[in-house]
Amino acid sequence: MIRPTLVVIVTLIAGAITAPVYAHSQKAAITRVLFNPRTANLEVMHRFSMHDAEHAVKQIFDGDADIISSKDTQEKFSKYVADRFSIMESDGKALVLESVGYEIEGKFFWVYQETKAPEAETLILSHNALRDLWPTQINTVNIEGKHGLRTVTFDGSEELITVNLKPND
Amino acid sequence: MLKNLFAGSLVVMLVASTGYADAVKQTKGNFEDKFRQLEEILPTANTYRTAGGEPGHAYWQQKVDYKIKASLDEEKRRISGNEVISYTNNSPDTLKFLWLQLDQNVFRNDSIAELTNDFNGKVTASTKGGAPAKLSLNQIRRQQFMQDNELGYQIASVKTGSGAALNYTIVGTLMRVDLAKPLTSGSSTDLAIEFSYNLVEENAVSARAGYEHFPKDDREGGNDIFLVAQWFPRLAAYTDYEAWTNKEFLGTGEFTLEFGDYDVELTVPADHIVSSTGALQNAKSVLTREQRARLETAKTAERPIFIVTEEEALQNEKEGTSESKTWHFSAKNVRDFAWASSRKFMWDAKGYQQGGKDQPFVMAMSYYPKEGGDLWKKYSTESVIHTLEVYSRFSFDYPYPVAQSVNGPVGGMEYPMITFNGPRTTLQDDGSRTYSQAEKRFLIGVVIHEIGHIYFPMTVNSDERQWTWMDEGLNSFLDGIAGREWDTEIPWGVEPRDIVDYMKSERQVPIMTQSDSVLRLGPNAYGKPAVALNILRETILGRELFDFAFKEYATRWKFKRPTPADFFRTLEEASGVDLDWFWRGWFYTTDHVDISLDKIYQLRMDTKDPDIDFSRQRDEVKAEPASIFAERNREQGRKTWVELNPDIRDFYDENDRYTVTNKERNSYQSFVKGLKDWERKAFERAVTEDKNYYVLEFSNQGGLVMPIILGLTFTDGSHEQHYIPAEIWRRNSQTVKKLLTFAKGKELAEVIIDPNWETADVNLENNYYPRRIIPSRIEAYKRSKSKALVHRDIMQDSKTKLASEEVEEEKDTEKPE
Repeated sequence: MIRPTLVVIVTLIAGAITAPVYAHSQKAAITRVLFNPRTANLEVMHRFSMHDAEHAVKQIFDGDADIISSKDTQEKFSKYVADRFSIMESDGKALVLESVGYEIEGKFFWVYQETKAPEAETLILSHNALRDLWPTQINTVNIEGKHGLRTVTFDGSEELITVNLKPND
Repeated sequence: MLKNLFAGSLVVMLVASTGYADAVKQTKGNFEDKFRQLEEILPTANTYRTAGGEPGHAYWQQKVDYKIKASLDEEKRRISGNEVISYTNNSPDTLKFLWLQLDQNVFRNDSIAELTNDFNGKVTASTKGGAPAKLSLNQIRRQQFMQDNELGYQIASVKTGSGAALNYTIVGTLMRVDLAKPLTSGSSTDLAIEFSYNLVEENAVSARAGYEHFPKDDREGGNDIFLVAQWFPRLAAYTDYEAWTNKEFLGTGEFTLEFGDYDVELTVPADHIVSSTGALQNAKSVLTREQRARLETAKTAERPIFIVTEEEALQNEKEGTSESKTWHFSAKNVRDFAWASSRKFMWDAKGYQQGGKDQPFVMAMSYYPKEGGDLWKKYSTESVIHTLEVYSRFSFDYPYPVAQSVNGPVGGMEYPMITFNGPRTTLQDDGSRTYSQAEKRFLIGVVIHEIGHIYFPMTVNSDERQWTWMDEGLNSFLDGIAGREWDTEIPWGVEPRDIVDYMKSERQVPIMTQSDSVLRLGPNAYGKPAVALNILRETILGRELFDFAFKEYATRWKFKRPTPADFFRTLEEASGVDLDWFWRGWFYTTDHVDISLDKIYQLRMDTKDPDIDFSRQRDEVKAEPASIFAERNREQGRKTWVELNPDIRDFYDENDRYTVTNKERNSYQSFVKGLKDWERKAFERAVTEDKNYYVLEFSNQGGLVMPIILGLTFTDGSHEQHYIPAEIWRRNSQTVKKLLTFAKGKELAEVIIDPNWETADVNLENNYYPRRIIPSRIEAYKRSKSKALVHRDIMQDSKTKLASEEVEEEKDTEKPE
């Protein structure tokens, strides 16, 4: 049977303006997913450039949103990120990622999450933060601490990426 | 590109028949020659480009002069113009046709850029539990705009200078014009072209120029800011290394252009202010007497002077006119020409006396609407001047009479003498305009970066279509320097540590990748090359050598067209340091830096003197833990035979196996006697000095060969830093050992590789010996909950009333008596 045609819906982010910033060509976030042997946790550390975050929050929330000085905005933004990042096991069951916190470090805004490290060696990742805002946003995830390093990159129409952590032969 | 292969086929076939990977990575064993010279990679030097990276004695480039008359139809948002192009063929070749770039055709529905646009929506339906596909409103707006507007050029005519029609063929974003007769070396020809096109709405289509509409302005129908670039058919470059550089414009790879002189007349609504490449030729007919007087004052002003004040601009944007004015600009030796026009602009200016003989005076100017507000008033023009001061130190005097920053819908884009920059203020409910610290940083940072581009690539004319990093990487490196010299409190530039997550990640391409094919453009073409140059300057060459070599590159290629090989060769030749390994690792591979300190052995020199060595050996054995077997026997009270029979003793009970006899002493004496004089001298000195010897074992986990910087801590609490040049890896790029020697008593307690984080080493844990547990970010965060610096938006926050004051006031009002 032919699957029914995909339904096209329009995401409700009207007013989102995507002026290209060639100078500070960022629109790129990088996330470290670490199997930490000392804590037996899976740690998730998202890094956004302050510049991207500053512009994003004004679009996602409102013109008064201020990632640098408003704790409320920082909290809302870290929740926004958490809502758009997920790790699933191969059966589609999502890991429950606890929020650890967030911080500003120089040019970067960090969002932290963690959970008990899963046994599974096949994980399905999704990272849509800012990608629902800017088509050109690229999110890179490095998965470390389990048989070396694996990278998945969310750009173009990538939404879910399966990563196999089994060691290379 | 096919053509490229053809043009360079002779060279390629001669030197690269074996391919570079073979020469570097052998089939015998696992040896990799990371220090192999770039002989298969760099093009063979010739009379146009020397082996030292300098323009050769027969260097040439074409010259293309333009006379353009164009008008802006504000209502239709349309540019119409005619141009006369004078093309001078300085190449040794005869040209039968010319290629022109029709960049506006990138917006046509049938352009390669449009046809190959990846679907950027989110499709999840094929995955379990996925949501339906999504398209963003942005994408839909773009589609609608492109449907509703006819985009791309309309070419009305292409003629010779004397008016005879020429045959032309449009190929995507290019147009081939067949010349009436072949253009021989050294001769010139004229082309006359009539063209027009509709401007794109920048916010709908996302481009490097376009209009922005302000519907809420008082004037009926609102106002626009027009940023106009890639607006006239212009010559594709014809070069010694690629012939016609006619690679299709796909949107990412920017431009490859020729230098020439421009004479441009722009007809716009009479109440518009125009900012443009070039010097204004008819100030008397487009500016008021007052405005001209203000410009004169601005030349020597301490702070920017308004040529058009905010009040005047506000008044301007309320009205409108059916009149028009023609602004006349002239620009010498530029590779492009762009302009901006709006009745919304206020305009400030401040003169900059840079001295020198080429261009002693430069006028720095900014144009912005009320939406730019105080942020622009304070910082735009000042940032322009700061950029000139810093960049000129690293290259050459700013070569043009004006340097401009224009606020419009484009986030940041550069053209000769003019840049488009996006930052804005935010309108608050009380009608005031404020800006966050991030917006302030953005403004200063983007103005520095875009004005910096007037040096690279607008003057040092690198080929952006092929190599984005040559302008973006160099410019990001320099904007980091200029930023740090603006305010050290603001985190500018790219630190090596910022790039490690990118460099260790899997999905990436080398810096030396054609601009349109680069993956993850930001870190690839901006961040990584900027960090590489930073490391070259701070760590490998040192500032003195680097700055000399970099300046040499800039001055050699000022108003000329360098290629990567010219950059690599110049920096090497002018610094006197072989850097092929550095270019190979950082620019041609995706290796990262991860040097591990695996082991340290301590060695001590044997004196050969039995009276010394034997007792040392005895001490060493004594220092070992006693046998646990013997210990437990003793604990159980088990007596040995010797203890039970004390009456029987002999020589060996009094003298252990370390007892020295004359036999050993004699043998030592004959050993010393047997040494040659110089051997004895060295030996005796070594014995007297009794130094500490350590062997450090390193492994290269990341592949990139780099210097090994050692931070040494001694047991007496003192510190030292040692620098081992990258060449230590030349015979074995996987593991190396290094012997370090310290004076007697100077014993190592701890060794750290790269203690100042200057090499972009991705793994800190293996940098320590003995190993140290490096907490992950989350562990560290939990320990010292948020060490976040508090940057406050004081502007808006300062309006907050003090809570206690309000309470006081309330109390007061409640007490009538």
